[in-house]
Amino acid sequence: MSLERLKKAVFHPTKSDLEIVIFLYLPLVFILLGFVLPLLSTILSARGWEVFRDKYYLDLSWDAFSNIVEYKTIRNKIIITVKGFDLGVIGNSIVNAVLVTLTATLLGSSVAVLVGFYRFRGRRIFAALAYVPLLMAPFVNAYIIQRFVNPTLGYNTLSYIISKFFTEPLLGKTVIISFKNQAGVFLAQVLMFYPIVYINTLAALAAIDATLVEQALNLGARGFKLLRKIVLPLIVPGILAGSTLVFILSLEDVGGPIIFKYHKFISYEVYQSVAYQATQEIAKVASLSLIMLVAALTPLVVARQYLSLRYYARLARGAPRPFYGLKLGSKGYVLAYLIVLPIIMAAAIPQFGIIVLAFSERWVGALPDLLPADKLFTNFEALLSIEGIRRSILNSLYYLGQAIVFIAVLGFMAGYATARARLPGATLLDTLTSTPLAIPGLVVAFSYFVFFSKHNLGGFFDPQNVPYGVVHLLVLAYVMRRIPFTVRSVFTSVIQTPEELEEAARSLGSRRFRVLARIVLPLTWRGLIAGILLSSIYVLAEVSVSVTIGALGGDIYSSDHLGPITFALLQLTTMTTLVGGTQPQAKAAALAVLLMILEATVITISSRLARRGQALITV
Amino acid sequence: MATAIEVENVVKRFGQTIALRGVSLEIREGELFAILGPSGCGKTTLLRIIAGFEVPDSGRVYLKGKDVTNVPPDKRGTVMVFQNWALWPHMTVYENVAFGLRLRKLPEAEIRRKVLQTLEMLGLRGLENRFPSQLSGGQQQRVALARALVVEPEVLLLDEPLSNLDAKLRLRLRGELKQLQKKLGITMVYVTHDQEEAMSLADRIALMRNGLIEQVGSPSTLYKKPKTLFTAAFLGRTSLLLGKVMDAGDDKVLVRAGEIDIVAQNHGLQKGEGAAVVIKAEGARMEPHKGRETVKIRGTVTVSMYVGAFVEVRVRIPGSKYEVMLDLPLDTPAPGPGQEVEFYVPLDNIHAYPIEEDVIKEIAEQA
Repeated sequence: MSLERLKKAVFHPTKSDLEIVIFLYLPLVFILLGFVLPLLSTILSARGWEVFRDKYYLDLSWDAFSNIVEYKTIRNKIIITVKGFDLGVIGNSIVNAVLVTLTATLLGSSVAVLVGFYRFRGRRIFAALAYVPLLMAPFVNAYIIQRFVNPTLGYNTLSYIISKFFTEPLLGKTVIISFKNQAGVFLAQVLMFYPIVYINTLAALAAIDATLVEQALNLGARGFKLLRKIVLPLIVPGILAGSTLVFILSLEDVGGPIIFKYHKFISYEVYQSVAYQATQEIAKVASLSLIMLVAALTPLVVARQYLSLRYYARLARGAPRPFYGLKLGSKGYVLAYLIVLPIIMAAAIPQFGIIVLAFSERWVGALPDLLPADKLFTNFEALLSIEGIRRSILNSLYYLGQAIVFIAVLGFMAGYATARARLPGATLLDTLTSTPLAIPGLVVAFSYFVFFSKHNLGGFFDPQNVPYGVVHLLVLAYVMRRIPFTVRSVFTSVIQTPEELEEAARSLGSRRFRVLARIVLPLTWRGLIAGILLSSIYVLAEVSVSVTIGALGGDIYSSDHLGPITFALLQLTTMTTLVGGTQPQAKAAALAVLLMILEATVITISSRLARRGQALITV
Repeated sequence: MATAIEVENVVKRFGQTIALRGVSLEIREGELFAILGPSGCGKTTLLRIIAGFEVPDSGRVYLKGKDVTNVPPDKRGTVMVFQNWALWPHMTVYENVAFGLRLRKLPEAEIRRKVLQTLEMLGLRGLENRFPSQLSGGQQQRVALARALVVEPEVLLLDEPLSNLDAKLRLRLRGELKQLQKKLGITMVYVTHDQEEAMSLADRIALMRNGLIEQVGSPSTLYKKPKTLFTAAFLGRTSLLLGKVMDAGDDKVLVRAGEIDIVAQNHGLQKGEGAAVVIKAEGARMEPHKGRETVKIRGTVTVSMYVGAFVEVRVRIPGSKYEVMLDLPLDTPAPGPGQEVEFYVPLDNIHAYPIEEDVIKEIAEQA
């Protein structure tokens, strides 16, 4: 577009007005300078391609699979240790993410089809249990899974249950099963992330027009044929949306590698380089970040391409009627209760384990040692009495307080502009406000660290400038990473409000500013508040930037460190001692319980306000 | 009468789609002007360009002689009533109607007087404190009208304002709207796809097709003297036959369709040309009309059905695939299917035009 045409389009008095120009271009410039520029300039400077020649980073030989499972027997004890493969840092990240995605997709979509497509006794319990793992408790959930399956001389929790209840009384043998290395990370990620596919598939199932299913039933389609021919094609977009998100989350997950003490993943390499300021490795880490970014975006692009060809699910005329489910047969009941329920329960274990650990002194052996009744809340009291932990809570609230102002203002502007502006740049803003959801947080953290070390507006964003530079950088990162929730929520509210309501006001002589104040805000405030609430909770639960940039201000032994809650969770779950008597992990669990309560409350309020189920999940 | 609105050679594209292909028209002050046409013909786009919600790619719009092409909608002095009425759900009836007056910064007492007066005029008194969701469809429509009329606009633009109502209410409100327009003397531009609505309401009609205006004129002119094949076929209950001109005069033409010859009014046909013949269904009889030139049509009845005010008969023309639809008066004994019959149709109701493939295709799609 020529400059003259651009000028004509932007400043045309009937096409645009000052308000819409500001609403569109201010957030656009903000995102371009604060997100796209640091990201591109760092990623495109990747030069460390020697990583592909180093076996530590990429090992495609058969040796990589030589030690997947170890099996030995000692007297009447059977010891099975699942270790997984070792394809090197890059290979592990990508292949593990693929396997996690496939497994989570299979599990999540199966559970969703059972819960969303069939009516049976206990359906509500299944549905509620499947939601539990959605409550984010970074690091602590992985820690609980590790407690269940870690290699130990005696029983871990899983082996304790298997041996004490099944193999010892029935066979007279003790079975010790443990998961470590890549297998441990894989297990933790599948259990943590499968509900994302579940909730997206469930949302897709809920959107199916009942008449489509009824027509198929009417023509004689039953059972698996009905599922495969009619239901599955209609819910593929939902499944794909969930799967691509799981793939990204698996790639960027740093909790699994840290807790299972197996560091051969890209995410850990990137994390380490920022958190420990390993500046000599920047060229190599930039390359690893680029690989992570490309790997994360590839399935997204493929999925979009695939979905753009498949809009037939919505071709039905008239208002869709929701489908209330088919009655489950006796075989279905057996499948549901013997296979699906144990899987759902297994996935909910971390959250229940966190609650138990929060009221325990420690969890070292097979079972946790519960606190005596009079000291039940010791770990919760420690959150306020131990300075380093209290500081992390205050830090989080302080960062949130600043970030949310920008998120609310820019989010509303961008959400409104993407829905209403018909100016050059509107589509770009639409894309850019969704993009942060697909960019691994560690890539953002690394890019910020490198870019703002060089260009920092006189130290304002300098990561070496403690505390101010670090604080500003954290707030900027939170705004950029979490603004999509507010933008999407506002966008949905605006798009659901007929534009004629605004045009009617304009037609009566009202300027856009007044239209916004009198018509748009009163009709869309629910969406705005719902978006702000969601953004807030995801700021509090943000991991990648918090544990990297947030680590630059010292650790939680220090009373004036700059780390937020998730940083404290990481430190508490990985440290061996801390004042206060109980195990640091127990204190982490108490902090995680508070976070989960907050998440559950906010997501419930937000869903009610927006009058819809939330299928957006992130880390 | 002075010109209220002038649209000059307006072109509008949406991506690859051309919505308006160079539309020009003049609307006079105080008239109720209807823009009529099938879905997708560009009528709403034209109205939105007059209102200022869309900008033409080229061409100009004048209101009372002033070029308003680049004037934003809030400064045009036109007020629009939308198809879905666009009532603000968070405001009461009173607040909805008072909104425009408040923008004009009138004293509160004046606002109250005007709002109540307008509500009174539209039969809405007593509903001031209700929210739109507490009103019936007809009441909501009236509130939308009240909100527009209360600011005394120079031009009122209406985009299918009755299309969301049931048939009976639509008829009633149609009458009320016409009365109101005459009483207030306001210029109204009324977009509709319903030809009956346009015919009954408008002083003049612009019939649109495919981003262009086919014909502008009074309802009776458009109906009785259609200049184009599309105008003739679109208005009324019509049938279309294709044939060949056997003989052509200035006013009349003889067209052979299948095995019969039909005399029609000539619209530019020459002997030997292909012809598209449009036959309006009404006025058909089973015997010649007295004192009126009629045309005999012979064929086999395929369908005969009672539709309330008349009997609809479909007649297959011998030697062709065409059927002619005719409306017979109820007092005529209707022939049954399979019967070979002769009908008489007034010559005024039969028009023949040169064949335009795209128009014929469009008419067939709408049938």
